[in-house]
Amino acid sequence: MEEYQNGNEGSFNSEEAENVVKECIENIVGAEDYSQTQVNKWTAGIVERCLTQLVKQGKPYKYIVTCAVMQKTGAGLHTANSCYWDTTMDGSCTVRWENRTMYCVVSVFAVAVV
Amino acid sequence: MDEYQTEEETAFIVEDVSKVIKESVEVAIGGSTYQHSRVNQWSTSVVEQCLSQLSKMGKPFKYIVTCIIMQKNGAGLQTASACFWDNSTDGSCAVRWENKSMYCIVSVFGLAI
Repeated sequence: MEEYQNGNEGSFNSEEAENVVKECIENIVGAEDYSQTQVNKWTAGIVERCLTQLVKQGKPYKYIVTCAVMQKTGAGLHTANSCYWDTTMDGSCTVRWENRTMYCVVSVFAVAVV
Repeated sequence: MDEYQTEEETAFIVEDVSKVIKESVEVAIGGSTYQHSRVNQWSTSVVEQCLSQLSKMGKPFKYIVTCIIMQKNGAGLQTASACFWDNSTDGSCAVRWENKSMYCIVSVFGLAI
């Protein structure tokens, strides 16, 4: 029990980050239909907003936020990521979101600053 | 002269990383046609190949490699990324690759230790 809690204290809280990301996505594309002219603005807005909210938490981390928005037309999409870092302190979280016309996949990577 | 060499060894060199990525993608999916049953294996192999080549370079970096593979059927895809890091030491590189049946987008982020 103790060991588990100790591990958590210094490491990345992915649940918290997930909530931040979900809120940002809802805020920016929640009610929208896929639009080629707007999608550029949306992806930029989502990553910037997530980043701002994460940095506000004031934790000693460097962050990388990526976002992919894809129109729903039946195409297959697969994403993968691999990280070479300190597994005790660094972490990531990925959120998959969709509405009627598009998919949105956001990943947050947090790397501890020593 | 000495200082320049040290910087070279510890800087994130976009050109080198880009080469590594292109090679890794070619090796992993070079001659293949999009297949739903195999794409899982492909994206995993692309990121693993990139990561192993990058760590072989022996630089003092932590790496994050992401790969997106999308079937070509007319759908629109937009990706973006934002980073909160040390501009003087960290860097990133993204490569877009395609063949007749699919697109592959690989991004590498390098954070100095």
